[in-house]
Amino acid sequence: MDLRFSEEDEQYRRQLRSWLDGHVMAQRGGGSLASGGGTDIMEAIQMARDWQRTMWEAGYVGLSWPKEHGGQDASLTQQVIVAQELARASVPMLINTIGLSILGPTLIQHGTDSQRARFLPKILSAEELWCQGFSEPEAGSDLANLKTRAVLDGGDLVVTGHKIWTSLAPIADWCFMLVRTDPSAPKRQGISYLLCDMRSPGVKVMPLRNAGGGIHFSEVLFDEVRIPSENVVGELNGGWAITRSTLEHERSGLSGVLSLEQSLSKLRATASDMRRDGRPVVQDQATGRELAQRWIEVEGLRYLGYRTLSAQLAGRQPGPSTSVGKLFASRVRQRISRTALEIEGPLAQVTKRSPHVVDRGRWQAVYFDSIGHSIGGGTAEMMRNAIAERILGLPRTGEG
Amino acid sequence: MDFELSEEHLALRESARALIAQRWDRDKSRLALDRPPARMPDSLWKEIASLGWIGVAGTEELGGSGGDLMAALVLAEEAGRGLLPGPFLPALAAGIALDRSAADDQRAELLGHLFAGDRVLVGAYDEPGGTWGPGSLHTTVTPTHTGLVVDGVKILVPDADRASAFVLSGRAGDSTVLAVVPSEATGVEVIPMNRFDGQSMAEVRFASVEVKGSTLIGPGRTPGGGQPADDAYDISTLVCAADLLGVSEAALAMATGYAKDRVQFGHPIGSYQAISHRLADLVVDTELGRSLLFGACLAMAEARDEAPRLVSAAKAWMSDTAIGATETALHVHGGIGFTWELDVHLYLRRARSGAASFGDANFHRDRIATLLAARDPSRSGPELT
Repeated sequence: MDLRFSEEDEQYRRQLRSWLDGHVMAQRGGGSLASGGGTDIMEAIQMARDWQRTMWEAGYVGLSWPKEHGGQDASLTQQVIVAQELARASVPMLINTIGLSILGPTLIQHGTDSQRARFLPKILSAEELWCQGFSEPEAGSDLANLKTRAVLDGGDLVVTGHKIWTSLAPIADWCFMLVRTDPSAPKRQGISYLLCDMRSPGVKVMPLRNAGGGIHFSEVLFDEVRIPSENVVGELNGGWAITRSTLEHERSGLSGVLSLEQSLSKLRATASDMRRDGRPVVQDQATGRELAQRWIEVEGLRYLGYRTLSAQLAGRQPGPSTSVGKLFASRVRQRISRTALEIEGPLAQVTKRSPHVVDRGRWQAVYFDSIGHSIGGGTAEMMRNAIAERILGLPRTGEG
Repeated sequence: MDFELSEEHLALRESARALIAQRWDRDKSRLALDRPPARMPDSLWKEIASLGWIGVAGTEELGGSGGDLMAALVLAEEAGRGLLPGPFLPALAAGIALDRSAADDQRAELLGHLFAGDRVLVGAYDEPGGTWGPGSLHTTVTPTHTGLVVDGVKILVPDADRASAFVLSGRAGDSTVLAVVPSEATGVEVIPMNRFDGQSMAEVRFASVEVKGSTLIGPGRTPGGGQPADDAYDISTLVCAADLLGVSEAALAMATGYAKDRVQFGHPIGSYQAISHRLADLVVDTELGRSLLFGACLAMAEARDEAPRLVSAAKAWMSDTAIGATETALHVHGGIGFTWELDVHLYLRRARSGAASFGDANFHRDRIATLLAARDPSRSGPELT
């Protein structure tokens, strides 16, 4: 057993780190890259696009994509290193992550040559931002229940329906979506995968405000939107099978561990600074135990991540065991924010821009955000189903 | 980057699992609850010694098998999975502790006999009124011109009835040390205690016990530069955490098998999320436990600074997990799970016993809290690795 990366990898890390140091400092001088922009949202989006372009030009975007498609063909360890260093530098996520991680691999594996030539370069450069039109009001965890229809009319597909929980919809240029093209087929067999220009007539975006007060996702209505049939990815009615297309990419979750570690460090600092009844809260035994337990959980995730990476490097697919990491990571995120609010004690109810507020109200924001983590991108229950069925081999549950 | 069990580890695990299942009849663990303690037959003790298990991680020149610490934890996990009783794990832990901390002449004298199964050495660390760790030590170890004198009372000593010698912790002036005390020495008295899972355990009294020769270990000779007693405690703790991982996985496997077979309301109960999600959560808990165990093992093997807190992390996590897994397994079995005949309560008993041994979950959380406070930055911001 050995947790060290190769000297070549460490060299790669050093190069990236020094590159990041230079760029992050430059960006921070002129604006606020790390905080995700100032007050002007359009300015912030442009800044995020510019940042991805800068990263792309330096060779740090499209890491898992093959070189022939504009990617880096980066090794798994290099992918881990980039994710770790970006988390360490607290730079924002790449704005086109949805396009990079979901659509890109799908087009590379199932797109036509002209689709790849048309779309891939602009995903990498963030010239075109993508959103994902999968979920619907009646198709959440049960995605195959989607109802949005597309009817062939001449050379076009005419799409009518209702998508929801669509991140980035107000700023996206394009949407990759699942629609029902054969209502008479069994529900997973009549689905097609389409690429829709968000500026097409009949597309209407309605931002949704989330429980924490932020705007992260939207509803998108499609009213007889015409999409040329050349924008079907894969076979007509063959969309379901390609929805889970991925390229071999690192799944360790180690960059997420780093951000949890940063969060926990901030919380320790808060608990050391805060005094209750004259003593630092961190010295209270119950608080110390809770913080210790959070530390145990983060370390557990770290070493789980190393196991996942190690299995991948040995050529084994981590498969359903990544569900274990994702499920537990969302749980740890929630526990850290709950512990934070417990540490705040009576001040847990005081919000930002108020006298006596703790850490400018960050823990309440983290708290709401963490609650969303066990819903979005596959609920905790769906992950438990996956673990039960695919790791334990228990009979399928809950499907009629 | 390599953080998995090696081919050798996997082969060792497979052969250990098969041998324990074949040689240790779990009914004996059950019978021992009425007539304690559970005893490993001499023939089995000799067999595992001849397979090199006792010295699996021991130095080869001293008769060990030359494996790494992980190999020892692989065997500890399998012992837990197969409910194998002592003195295997106590002897395994004592041997590793001595190999790491004792002087060369002491190792040469003690370890060959231990690894060969000719002598049984076990740790004697706990004392009445304490929790765990050197903080609760009252036993004194006083050097004399011919050897040393030991005074004190140890409790929860595993397999004292089989031990040829005790590796005990004690105070020598301001220092914490280890000393090796033969069980036949004058003034040693073994008083059996009954353990929840039927394994052998005793109170051992040391009344002005004189020991000839150089059997004092410490202060200050471990790979990490710390005290031998601290290191020995951590090794025992880690071995116990591995035992608990085996117990947890066995309980999960039993419950999963039952959930597939048992039909109620026309379907296997494992198709109901009330059952399947509890079992899925146990997968998460055991996978996290295995990850922490690997992390702690590597840190101990490399004698890194964070080794003590990672050992505590593994033990705290596995204590909670083993209790949760075995209680859940019993519950999933329904009425049949609550019967004497089913093995699941044997696992619950071993989980409860192990969880209470070598520091319970709260002890280790408190220890982590102390260790983390000692490295908190002086408010200059978080340090990240």
